[in-house]
Amino acid sequence: MPAAAEKSVASLSHVTLRYERGALALDDVSLDVRAGEHVCVLGANGSGKSTLALVLAGLLAPDAGDVTLLGEQVLAGGHVDFAAYGRARRGLGLVFQNPDDQIVTTVVEDDVAFGPENLCVEPAQIERRVRRELDRVAMGAFAKADPTRLSGGQKQRVAIAGALAMEPRLLVLDEPGALLDVRGRRAIMRVMGRLRAAGTTIVHVTHFMEEALAADRVIVLSEGKVALSGTPEQVFSHAEKIAALGLEEPFCARLASRLQALGVGVDWTVDDDALTRRLASLLAAAPAAPAPAPVPSPAEPSPATPGDEPAILADDVSFAYGSADHAHALDHVSLSVAPGASVAIVGQTGSGKSTLARIACALETPDAGRMVVGGIDTATRRNRRLLHGRIGYVMQHPERQLFAETVLKDVAFGPTNLGLSAEEVARRSRRALAIVGLADKADASPFELSGGQQRLCAIAGVLAMRPRTLVLDEPTAGLDPRGRTQLARILADVHARGVTVAVVTHSMDDAALAQQVIVLDRSHVMADGTPASVFAEKSAASLADAGLGLPTALSWALALRDAGAPDLGAPLTLDALATAIASRLALAAPAAPGAPAAPGEPVGPREVR
Amino acid sequence: MALRIAFGQYYAADSPIHRLDARTKVIGALALMLLTFFVRTPAQLALALAFAAALTATSRVSAARLLEAARPLLVMVVLLSLFNLLLVRGGETLVSLGPVTITSAGAWAAVLYSLRVAIAICAGLLLLLATTPTELTDAFEAILSPLARLGLPAHELAMVFSLMLRFIPTLADELSAILDAQRSRGASLSQGSPARRLRSLVPVIVALLASALHHANGLSRTLDARCFAAGAPRTHWHPLRLGREDAVAALVLVAFATGLIALGQVTQLPVAP
Repeated sequence: MPAAAEKSVASLSHVTLRYERGALALDDVSLDVRAGEHVCVLGANGSGKSTLALVLAGLLAPDAGDVTLLGEQVLAGGHVDFAAYGRARRGLGLVFQNPDDQIVTTVVEDDVAFGPENLCVEPAQIERRVRRELDRVAMGAFAKADPTRLSGGQKQRVAIAGALAMEPRLLVLDEPGALLDVRGRRAIMRVMGRLRAAGTTIVHVTHFMEEALAADRVIVLSEGKVALSGTPEQVFSHAEKIAALGLEEPFCARLASRLQALGVGVDWTVDDDALTRRLASLLAAAPAAPAPAPVPSPAEPSPATPGDEPAILADDVSFAYGSADHAHALDHVSLSVAPGASVAIVGQTGSGKSTLARIACALETPDAGRMVVGGIDTATRRNRRLLHGRIGYVMQHPERQLFAETVLKDVAFGPTNLGLSAEEVARRSRRALAIVGLADKADASPFELSGGQQRLCAIAGVLAMRPRTLVLDEPTAGLDPRGRTQLARILADVHARGVTVAVVTHSMDDAALAQQVIVLDRSHVMADGTPASVFAEKSAASLADAGLGLPTALSWALALRDAGAPDLGAPLTLDALATAIASRLALAAPAAPGAPAAPGEPVGPREVR
Repeated sequence: MALRIAFGQYYAADSPIHRLDARTKVIGALALMLLTFFVRTPAQLALALAFAAALTATSRVSAARLLEAARPLLVMVVLLSLFNLLLVRGGETLVSLGPVTITSAGAWAAVLYSLRVAIAICAGLLLLLATTPTELTDAFEAILSPLARLGLPAHELAMVFSLMLRFIPTLADELSAILDAQRSRGASLSQGSPARRLRSLVPVIVALLASALHHANGLSRTLDARCFAAGAPRTHWHPLRLGREDAVAALVLVAFATGLIALGQVTQLPVAP
């Protein structure tokens, strides 16, 4: 028994859990987590991942089956042993999505101490643990800070330190990076790397396939069942099944598959280094070719007819929030967006992106300078009210603002405020619901929808106002790959109808698909132009300085060149990169170099394979 | 976010006030608030103001930060002084303009009552700014613990109070996001008849409640995950300990109270009531 108990940290056997409404959240799940193991759990929204995380953290008891946590049999044949749960929970740590809900005090170090205090740890020992864990998550300098003033990534690191200070034998992380920007997520991954090196047992639930590559074992859930299980390489080799489950393979695996389809002799792999080495040697051995065929940018900006009123025009805009700790949210910002364009606004947390969006949506007026939207200056109150009907604003996590009894009523809120007739309101609302694919949910309560559907419902509420310009603030945050793809289709559809679409995003890969990219850094516009001009090798350093990266495809092209391959130009998408490699190797089909990167795919802010 | 509330947020500094036992600070602040009711004469007012200023200086909390935290409450102080100015009649008439009559007693009442409230606010805010919520929770628990025998859940009450302080800024941010979202969807929150404005608040309140419930769910999960159990024994990283400094603070406070009350006996009101 002791040997078995040491090896297995958590063991689930034929576990079934039913929600109150009768839907199965977990359906006959069996799995073992061994000491020191790093297990990654993947699955689409609603697949039961979070439920599994709660079961492993000892916070939710299944209805049937056996569960053993840290050697305590907490559930035997569906019978709950509460005392055993109480004992097991002391050694289980949980960190989940929303950092705001995981911090219980207003001083960082006190928050880290909260768990150990509840475990009755001696004060001197608490002191040691608080210092150690804050250092581990690189938050030592913020020990006395107020967590509500930290960035999401910093708060999440405090939450992780709080869990680690309890010295859990199993740490469960339920999508800790879902609501964070790229830098925040990278910091979490670094912390996880350190924990792994220290031998901490980790179960990590995530929507980001790249993160799963670091795991010893990957478990894919679908409709409450274990659909796939194995090493990352084994799991991702089931390309079709992964796609059918609403997931997406890591970039490296997709690139390898695409290259194989183009006839390049590479093996399928999830190992970045292996593929880079193989491609570099293939490319270096290829006969010297003329300069690479110009890679067609997936989206050339449509030349704006002179005299067209810009959709968004910021003229030397400055803005500061009242309190002292936000010095300048925007500092002399000038930019122009052509009507009907698709624009990506990028920049790390605190760069002024969201402020720019709020000012463009006439929710805030510049302290200095002018903001003119569709020819209307936001300076007067009357104009701002006029604009509220013409410019649609989908803010971060719009699903948190749903309020009506039915989906249809919620969507109808905007058109009703425009003073339209009842028939017109109903027509527009139903049309908007059809665009987002929720037509059959019109009479459901918005609170009964899944997270992804709630997001779409909130977006429909903005679309129903028929805005000429649509501004979205991180619309894909927290969505699974299928939800991200679906949203990209909806936005491409809306854009194809002539609506100007401006998306604030953390994803450089999404930004590379827009017609115009605006980079904000510390309240200033750092770059503004086509993706090809903004994402160039020479700007890599300044982008990195602004806390941003390059699109994945371009990073690969540069990494290949560093490994000895010839120049591949500046491909911004996976398809452009694959085509560039294939044409270098003179393997591409004759039509490939001139053809659009993704034929038939509308221009949208998201790459769709 | 646009709406930022500085109310009740710890101001990290190393000062004699910060180092005091939280229980001393809680009782001291309450005593100071009560003492303001004894202030009646200009001399007493001057003494109380001087004491409040000395306390603020000792706490090393920046005056700007104190004012920022007090801002939402200052509106109340201004309203209070206006009411007194216009409604209290007595003494000689200073200004008489149509229906508005300002008398010397009204002017004195306006000054006295608003400054009394300002001193009480200063005492309360210094307590909140110079004491971490954890210390406050522990202090309230300790102070209320005699009542625990009567069935009053002292620790839980203190914990709820501390969580409330923690979630005020979060919910304020949510509220401002909800207002933004609804305004950009054409809601007229500041226009139309009072009945219409009231109606337009319903969606705001429903959305805020939904969001508060959402946070409550997350928070209860956190408390479970971090092994917080109501009534269960727990240790304290910084156990409360009364020291020499607390004795000094108590003496200073008693001296101030005695001085203040004595001063009330020997000094005069500026105007006959």
